[in-house]
Amino acid sequence: MPRYELALILKTMQRTETASAIRRTVEALLERGAVVRNLESLGERTLPYKMSKHNQRHSTGGYFLLDFDAPPTIIPTMLDHLGRDIDVIRPTILKHCTPETDENCPGLLQPDYEAKFQSKRK
Amino acid sequence: MWRAVRKWRPVYWQKGISTQRIPSTSNTSDTPITLENPYKEPPKKCILCGVSVDYKNVQLLSQFISPYTGRIFGRHITGLCGKKQKHISKAIKKAQQMGFMSVTFKDPTFLKDPNICDFKLRE
Repeated sequence: MPRYELALILKTMQRTETASAIRRTVEALLERGAVVRNLESLGERTLPYKMSKHNQRHSTGGYFLLDFDAPPTIIPTMLDHLGRDIDVIRPTILKHCTPETDENCPGLLQPDYEAKFQSKRK
Repeated sequence: MWRAVRKWRPVYWQKGISTQRIPSTSNTSDTPITLENPYKEPPKKCILCGVSVDYKNVQLLSQFISPYTGRIFGRHITGLCGKKQKHISKAIKKAQQMGFMSVTFKDPTFLKDPNICDFKLRE
């Protein structure tokens, strides 16, 4: 199963309500056959720009990061479910990508002027 | 009585003597050894070589945007190599869309960061 990352922005609420919102999300994931690896909280921050969602204007939100493995068929249904949840401001599901190693990087090379000025036509 | 005069030619013009020197097989101790250039400089790397670019570290991404307009700097200003410039650009767009980074300005907490790019702030 491929690995995904859910960047969740929740409405600023009381601790208990935030906990119940996250519990709902995780339960929905598990219900659809996902395996949750890790849940991180990035804290409650002011949003970079005001967002309108579910007839409300939000300027602060709680950021959460959810790492999970899931079959790719559940992703559209999951996004739909999160879109309906009134406590969620912005859900985004991304593929988990491992950054490429820079060991084989040749560095900043000068362009090959000789090849450039030679005509490519035979 | 005229005698037939042979044309004078220097000795080394005679046929049979080659004008090229034949290298001697003995005495090869002072011939130059082929080496790779020992004074070669290590290849120049851009500032982000070895640094992984992520949409989550907004501070790193904010170093490559204008503090006034929030626009992404071009390659001639950042001085990054092709791959890293693309990664940064994609990560900034991703972060902006996901609600991690602002679009029209630079986060005020990051304004005091060291200036990597070839960009002078107006005083």
